[in-house]
Amino acid sequence: MKKSYLLIAASAALLTFSCKSKIDPEMPSAGQADFSTYVAIGNSLTAGFADGSLYRSGQENSYPNMLAGQFKLVGGGDFRQPLLPGESGWPIAPAAGRFPKRVLDIVVDCKGVASLGPKLYSGLPDTAGSAVNIAAGGPYNNVGIPGIRCIDYDVAGYGMANPYAGRFFSSPMQRPLEAALQPVPTFFTMWLGSNDVLGYATAGGEGANGGIGLSDISPLPVFTATYNKVVESLVNSGRSPKGALINIPDVTAIPYFTTINPKGLVLDATQAAQLSALYAPLGISFTEGPNYFIIEDSTAPGLRRQIKPGEYILITTPGDSLKCGGWGSAKPIPERFVLDAAEVNNVKVATAAFNQVIADNANRHGLALVDANTYLKSLQSGITWNGVTYTPAFVTGGAFSLDGIHLTPRGYALVANEIIRMINQTYQASIPNVDVNKYGGVRFP
Amino acid sequence: MKKICTLTATVLLASSMAFGGSFQLNLQGIRQTAMGGTGVAWPWDASTIFFNPGGLSRLSGIQAYGSVNIVTPNVKYVQTPTGGYSASSNTHTTTPFAVYVGGPIRKGSKIGVGLGIYTPFGNKLDWGNTWTGRYVVESISLQSFFFQPTVSYAINDMISVGAGFVYARGTVDIEKAIPVQDINGNDGQAKLKGNANGFGFNVGVQIKATEDLQFGVSYRSKVKMDVNGGDATFTVPASLAGNFPNTTFDSKLPLPEILTVGLGYKFTSDLMVQADVVLAGWKTYDSLSFDFAENKSVQDTHDPRSYKNTVAFRLGAHYQIDNQFAIMAGGAYDPTPTRDNLLSPDAVDGNRLTLSCGATYQPLPRLSIMAALNYTTTPKRNTSYDPAGMQGAYQVKSLLPAIGVSYTF
Repeated sequence: MKKSYLLIAASAALLTFSCKSKIDPEMPSAGQADFSTYVAIGNSLTAGFADGSLYRSGQENSYPNMLAGQFKLVGGGDFRQPLLPGESGWPIAPAAGRFPKRVLDIVVDCKGVASLGPKLYSGLPDTAGSAVNIAAGGPYNNVGIPGIRCIDYDVAGYGMANPYAGRFFSSPMQRPLEAALQPVPTFFTMWLGSNDVLGYATAGGEGANGGIGLSDISPLPVFTATYNKVVESLVNSGRSPKGALINIPDVTAIPYFTTINPKGLVLDATQAAQLSALYAPLGISFTEGPNYFIIEDSTAPGLRRQIKPGEYILITTPGDSLKCGGWGSAKPIPERFVLDAAEVNNVKVATAAFNQVIADNANRHGLALVDANTYLKSLQSGITWNGVTYTPAFVTGGAFSLDGIHLTPRGYALVANEIIRMINQTYQASIPNVDVNKYGGVRFP
Repeated sequence: MKKICTLTATVLLASSMAFGGSFQLNLQGIRQTAMGGTGVAWPWDASTIFFNPGGLSRLSGIQAYGSVNIVTPNVKYVQTPTGGYSASSNTHTTTPFAVYVGGPIRKGSKIGVGLGIYTPFGNKLDWGNTWTGRYVVESISLQSFFFQPTVSYAINDMISVGAGFVYARGTVDIEKAIPVQDINGNDGQAKLKGNANGFGFNVGVQIKATEDLQFGVSYRSKVKMDVNGGDATFTVPASLAGNFPNTTFDSKLPLPEILTVGLGYKFTSDLMVQADVVLAGWKTYDSLSFDFAENKSVQDTHDPRSYKNTVAFRLGAHYQIDNQFAIMAGGAYDPTPTRDNLLSPDAVDGNRLTLSCGATYQPLPRLSIMAALNYTTTPKRNTSYDPAGMQGAYQVKSLLPAIGVSYTF
C-alpha cells in the first residue's frame, strides 16, 4: 500500500509541471542604433496617405507609426504625427483637384452595369479645424508631406505652397529640412524622391524630362544635390543619427498604370469591321475579340495609333468615355491619359538614376538601404504573409489603396517589415516584425 | 478599372485538417497509456482488441471495458525570426474514450470474439478569431470513431492470432477567416463542416515464447477517410456574397497504416517490462485538398504536407504490489511526421517526449479500476508553413489524466 502513496506523490509532482507552454520570444535588441527619437522623412507614402487623400486613420496606420511602435520595444520614444481631426480626407477643393477619400461602393456605369468600384466619399466632411496650424503641438516626428519632392526639401517657404506642410511647420519660411531636424533625431527613415518622377507619370508624361514643374521629372543634378544635402544635414545633426534610406518604386508597376488593359478594346465582328473600315486610311485593322486601344499620338499619321504592349493607360481615364464615349476606338484616348514608350523610358531611366543617388548615399554614410523598388516588384508574383497573398491588382490585390498609388494599411505594414529587415541587418538589431494582419486592407460594402 | 467581379486574390488558402502526428491519440487503454503506450505483446485486458487482436483469445473470460481520457493540450506560437508576437491556443477539453467487450467465447475456448469502439485520431485546437494566423486556421475540431468487430484464435499454447474489421466515422469542423473585410474591418469567415467515412482492418499475432517472455506484432491498415458533401458556409461583406456562395466540398484524409512490434518480459513474478517499436506510414499524408462544388472566388485548394514515415519507441513497466494494487510507469519518444517548412498551425507537432504512470485497483477479482497520467511535451520548434508564408516557433504541452474500469464475466 505504501507504494501506491508513492505513486500518488509522483503523480502530484507531475501535475506541478506546468502544462502551459512557456516558450517566449527572444528579447528584442536595438543593436548599434538608438531609436529614442525617430524622425520619418518622406512624402505622401510616409504621411499615411491612402485612397486619394490624407485622413486621420490613414495617418495612424502610416508605416512610420508602425515602425515607431516596434522601436518602442527597443528603447524608442514617443512618436508625434501631425494628425488631422477627421476621416473624410483633407483638403477638399474639387476645383484644385483635391477630393475627399475614395471608398468602395457599387457603381453603375453608362451601360447600366453595376459593379464594385471606388467612389468619392459622400458623407459630410469632418474637416473642421484641419487647416489650423498645429506647430505648437510639435515638433513632429512624422514629417512626411504629401506631394513633396526631393528637390523641394531645401526650399524656404515651402509650407506656403503645400497645405499639408503649412499646417505643422513652425513658420511660413521654414524649410522642410528644418522641420525634419527640429526633433533632433537619433534615428531617421527617408523615403523621398517618388514625386520627382510620379508627377510626370500621373500627368501622362506631358511635362518636361528635367524640369522643376509639378508635372516634370526633376533634373538629376538638382535631385542629387538636394538628396546629398538632406542626408548630410541629417547624419551631421546634433545626435549623429543612424537611419535607413528607402528607394523609389518603379511607378509603372502600380495599379494606377496597370489596371486598364491596353488590349482591352473588346469588339464583336460587326464593330471590328466598322472600325477597320474607319481606320483603313491609317492602315489599322481590328479583329473580333480584344484589340489594342487607339491613343492620341502627335507624331503618328492621323495623330493617332494603337497603343503598344509596355505602354500604359492611366486609371484616371474616364471609364464611361471608354465604354460609351467611343474613346480608344473611334476617338483616340487623349495623351494626358497615356504613358507611351518614350515616356515610360524617361520614367525608368530617371527612377534608376535617382535610386543610384540613394544607394550612393547609403554607402557613403553607412546607412541601411531599403530596396522598396525590388520589394514592391516582388508583389507581381505575390507576397504571402500569414495566410494572405498580396498582389499589385487594384482592389483585389490587397496591397494598394483605392487611388492605385498609395498602400493599404496592410501594404504599409509589409513595407514596414521590409524596412525592419534592413535595419536589423545593417545595425545588428532584432526588432520584431509588425503583425501585418493586425491592420486593415480594402474595405468592402 | 472596375473589373473586380472575380476576386481571385481572396482564394481560400487551403485549409487543413491534418490528422497530424499530434492527432494520433495513443490512448486506447489505461494500462498501456500508463506504460508509455506499450502493449502489443501482452493481452492486458479487452483493450487488446485495439493493441493486438491476437491477444483476445488469451483473456480469462468475456470482459467489458471502458475508459475515458481528458485531453487539454496547450499550444503556443511565437513569431519568428524576430519574435514580438505570440499566441496561445484556447484550451478546450476533449474526451477520447474506448469501450471494448470481448474475450474467449467460453471458458477455455480457443476462439475469442469482441467489439471495440475507440477514438484513435482526434484533435481540437482553437486559436481564436483575432490571432495572426486566422486566415490559415481559427479553430479545428476533428473526431473519429472506429468500430472494430474482432475475432481471435489461439492456434496453440504459443501462438494466437486475431483480426478485426474497422469501420471509421469521423467529423471535421474547421473555421478560418477570409481576407475580405467589411466596412467595419471585420474579416469574412469560412466554416467547413463535414462527416467522413472509411474502412480498414486490424490484425495481430501474439507469441508466448515462455511463461515470462512474449512477443507481439500488430498491423493496423491505412484508413482513407472520405468527406463527401461537407457544408462550406461563407460569411462575407454583402457586395461579395455572390462570389462566395455557400456550397459543398469533398476531401480525403488518409489515416496512416501502423505496424507495431513489441515484447514483454517478466523479470520477477511482480515486475514486468515491455517495449514496442511503432512504425507509422505517415507518408500517405502527402497533401490536403478541398474540392468545392462551386468555384467562384473560392478555388479548390491543394496544400502540400509531405509527411514522413516515423518510428516511435515506447517502454513501460508494470509492478504488481499485491492482489489488489498494481502500479505502472513508462515513457515514449515519438518523432514528428511533419516537415519544418510545412508545419501548419492547424496541425502543430514536434518530436514528442511522453512520460506516464498509472495504477490499478481490483476491489474484486473480476473488477478493475484503472487510472493513468500522461505528460507530453515537444521541444520548442522553429518552423514555417510555406504555403501561407507563416513562420513561427511552436511548443505543445499536455497533461492528460485517464480513468477506466473493466469487469470480467
